[in-house]
Parts: sequence; C-alpha cells; structure tokens
Amino acid sequence: MKSGKIFQISLILFIVTTLTIVVGIVISLINSSYPIFLRHGFGFISRSVWNPIEEDYGILPPLLGTLITSAIAISIATPLAISLAIFASEIIPSRLRSFVNNVSDLMASLPSVIYGLWGLYVLAPILHKYVMLPLHNYLGFIPLFSVKPTPTNLFTAGVLLSIMIIPFASSIIREAYTAIPYNLKEAAYSLGMTRWEVVKTMLGYIRSAIFAGVFLALGRAMGETMAVAMVVGNIMNIPKSIFDMGYTISSLIANQFPNAEAYKYMVPALYGGALILFTVGLIINLIGLHLVRRVMVKS
Amino acid sequence: MSLVEISNLNAWYGDKHVLKNINLEIPRNIIFAIMGPSGCGKSTLLRAMNRLLELNPNAKVSGQVKIDGIDVYSDKIDITWVRRQFGMVFQIPNPFPHLSIYDNVAIGPRMNGLVKNKSELDQLVKWALEKAYLWDEVKNDLKKPASMLSGGQQQRLCIARALALKPKIILMDEPTANLDPVAASKIEELMLELKEDYTIVIVTHNPQQAARVSDYVAFLYMGELIEVGETSQVFTRPVHKLTERYVVGKIG
Ligand SMILES: Nc1ncnc2c1ncn2[C@@H]1O[C@H](COP(=O)(O)OP(=O)(O)O)[C@@H](O)[C@H]1O
Ligand SMILES: [Mg+2]
Repeated sequence: MKSGKIFQISLILFIVTTLTIVVGIVISLINSSYPIFLRHGFGFISRSVWNPIEEDYGILPPLLGTLITSAIAISIATPLAISLAIFASEIIPSRLRSFVNNVSDLMASLPSVIYGLWGLYVLAPILHKYVMLPLHNYLGFIPLFSVKPTPTNLFTAGVLLSIMIIPFASSIIREAYTAIPYNLKEAAYSLGMTRWEVVKTMLGYIRSAIFAGVFLALGRAMGETMAVAMVVGNIMNIPKSIFDMGYTISSLIANQFPNAEAYKYMVPALYGGALILFTVGLIINLIGLHLVRRVMVKS
Repeated sequence: MSLVEISNLNAWYGDKHVLKNINLEIPRNIIFAIMGPSGCGKSTLLRAMNRLLELNPNAKVSGQVKIDGIDVYSDKIDITWVRRQFGMVFQIPNPFPHLSIYDNVAIGPRMNGLVKNKSELDQLVKWALEKAYLWDEVKNDLKKPASMLSGGQQQRLCIARALALKPKIILMDEPTANLDPVAASKIEELMLELKEDYTIVIVTHNPQQAARVSDYVAFLYMGELIEVGETSQVFTRPVHKLTERYVVGKIG
C-alpha cells in the first residue's frame, strides 16, 4: 500500500521532470535563436552566407546538406536493412543467427567517432576510386554526378550514414519479422508459394514496422554529428551535385561552436540551426507516424 | 484408385516418433474424418500429406503419400505443385490480416499464375467466396481488411482462399475448434455442401463431430492408426476395444 504510493509519486515526479526538460530545451532553443530571426528574418533559412565579420548568416547549404545526406542514407539503407533482416531470420542457419544478430547489434552501438575515422580513412578513398570517379566519368552528364568528386563530400557522408543506420533499422525489421505468427507462414506455404513469395507476403504483413524502422533511422541520420562532420567536407556552398563538399546542420554546429562566442550573432545563428533541425526532425517524425497510422488503418 | 494413398508413413520430431507406420486410403468425394485425442498426431498426419511438415527443421518423414497416383515425396516433384493439390484450413482462422478480403482469396491464384487477367481473377474470387458461403456477407466489403471479419467468417474466408487454387482435396485441421457453436455448425453445413465436388479430410478431437459430418473415419491413437472404416460402422460396431472406448468418451 505504502510502497505503491511511493512508486506512484516517483513516477509522476519522473514524468514531470522529463517533460520540464523537454519544454525547457524547446524554450531555450527559441529564446536563444530569436535574435538571428529578428536580424535576418526568413533570409536566415533561404540564403547561403556564413560571414562572422559582417555578422551575416544564412544556413540554406547545411539545411540542404542535411536533407541530401539523409536522403542518400535512407535510400541505400532501406533495401539493405530489409535484406539483412530477411537474411538473418530466413536464410542463415539458426546456429549462426544469434552471432550475426549480435554483430549487427554491436555495430548499431559503436561510437560514431569510430565510424567517422573509418569513413575518412577507409571508406572515402574506396568510394572515391571505385564509385564516385567512375560515376562522374561515365555519367557526369547527369547533374547529380556532374561535379568532379573529392573523397569527402555529401555522397560519402550519405553512404557512411547508411552504414551507421542499417543495423538499427534492420534490427527493428528483424524483430517484427521473427514475431510473425508461424500460423501465417504456414498459410502462405500451404497456398503453394515459393519461399521468396512467402517472404514478400510476410514483408507486407510487417510493413508498418518497416516504415517505423526507416523513419526512426531517418531521424538518427539527420541528427548524426561527429561521423558526418569528419567526411562531409565542411564547406559552405549550395550543392550542385551529390559529389559536392557540403555541410550539415549538426556538423556546422560541431565545427563552429568553439569560436562562436567571439561574435554577437553566431551563437543565435547556431541555435537557429538547432531549432530548424529540431523542427525538420519533428516534421519527419510526424509524417512517419502518419504513414504508419495510415498503413495500419488500410490493413 | 483412391484419391490419396498413404503407405508406411512414419514421422518424427527429433527422436520422438509421432506417426507409426500409417497405411490409409482416402476415397473421392467424401468427408473423411481423422479423430483421436489431442497429441495423437492428427495435425502431423495432415502436414505430412501436403509436405507442410518440412517447414519444421526438426521434423522427419519416411514412407509414401500418393495423390492421384503421384508420389508427393518423389525427388522430381515440384513442392509448390504438391501444396496446391491440397487446400488447407487451419485450427486458428489465419487469413492474412493486412490484406483485403478480395486479396486473401486472390493471392494464391495470382502468385501461382492461375489466371490470365483481372476479370478472370474477379470471377474466380467471386466463385470461391460463393462456394464458401461468404459472398453475400462480404460482397460490398471486398476491399476491407480481412481482420474485420468475425471468427467464423474468417474461417470461411480461409476456405475460399483454399478453394481458389482449385485443389483436389481439402485438409481441415480442427476447423471449428476455435469457433462458437453457431459459426461451427455453419462450417459443418458448408462441408456437407462442398462434398459434392470435393474430397474433404477433417481432423477432429471430438468424436461427435466425426459422427455428424463424416462418411469415413479413421481413429488415431498415440501415433498409430487403430481403426478405419465407414463412419456408421465404426461408431456402431467398432472392431477395436480402444475405438469403442474413445467413441463413448472414455478416452480423450
Ligand atoms: N513442432 C513440434 N516439435 C516437437 N514435437 C511436436 C511438435 N508438434 C507436435 N509435436 C508432438 O507430436 C505429437 C503429435 O502432435 P500433433 O500432430 O500436433 O497432434 P494432434 O494434432 O493430434 O493434437 C504430440 O505429442 C506433440 O507434442
Ligand atoms: Mg492438432
């Protein structure tokens, strides 16, 4: 009786504290960034400048960089995460299954600076030589590949991000796949489906989990900082191709905060970036939830 | 020639011997009941016929099952063909909940390439739903998800799904065990109707159900086939003592 009460009170305290912190963060984001919006208005979002001397800031390039790298990451990661989940739960012998799953879970938990180092010194040169240069040389007439690539650029960041989020997205899909009732698989096989047709049907059954996995992964990709900052190039320009060097909002903040306080408006500008990142993330999550819900209603 | 001929059929889960040298013939256009207390191997026997058993990596089978004279365990045979010859209805109604009522019936013919175009498929779906006594209840809701149907309707949808592949025989594994009595008796009526065109094997742990619906009955006990015969015969003059005790409800 008494311990139940204590539990209840501490639960309420915990919820109130958490909510307070979240609201506090949002308030301080708004509070600390409003000077930059007062100064530049919508120009803070729509222009491409980073000029501390004149205190002129417009963060369109990192905003585009965040969207582009996330889009690259998600288009690579989605099919691979699904394949990996099917591979882990259908194809490999059950003795090896937990080993593969453990490796995948371990990959999901590696600190991102490790991915950054590996991305910079191993992935970037390989991608440069075997993917980007050939794409540029043969398909350079397509605007997407038009810029002569350097090893670090938006594409490298996107690929690295995809590698970082695959294990995470895949584990959500795998959980859902292994939780499919045996009953349903039997039904599918009893209709004379081949193994591949059964897999296809079962993927339909767990499609809301796939959406959820992909959107949660997208949220991670957009917020990822350290690894991206190490391979994205960190240059303030509007990308003309995915082989351009660029910035993302989080890599901009990570790179610029050490000298920000020397300027009057740079701290508000960085807060402004954070607020935009927060808002875009919120929108992505809302779209994701909406998609998941629509899928669930339809089925 | 009987539709299905089973000879010297054995099955194991790991070391556990669950079907012991079964020999059985199933004639055409009848309802054939396999009855026996739970755990005696009825479901295993059904799944050994359409080779669903081998989805379980621990399961092993030996012996022969022939349908229309063709050995389903032959090396050369296409396993998807085997499964299409046997429509299967399960103990728990298991329509694909994420698919519409229409797609639940259409998915089999679509994947197996049994229809040429949409209107042929529409016709086939309608035919199967009518056969399963479900058409009138769902004809305006074909696009709605199967999960919105009641348990009995879901089970009839599963029957339609099986029929749409035009199987030679329908295997039903305790199809009414999870339904209320009204829904259950609807399924039993449906079985009697389907018998005109199909052969039905129904597994049941309930001897009364076997007596009500079947023409032939087999009594399975601890993996052994104890007795087979015409239902009237087996229930009035059982040859084996165990059968007699089972039908009066002393086993099970
Ligand atoms: N997947 C399985 N693994 C191991 N043993 C099983 C499995 N399925 C069933 N059995 C065992 O095999 C025997 C027959 O089971 P089953 O065919 O399901 O019987 P019934 O359908 O008559 O109730 C039972 O003793 C059961 O415990
Ligand atoms: Mg059973």
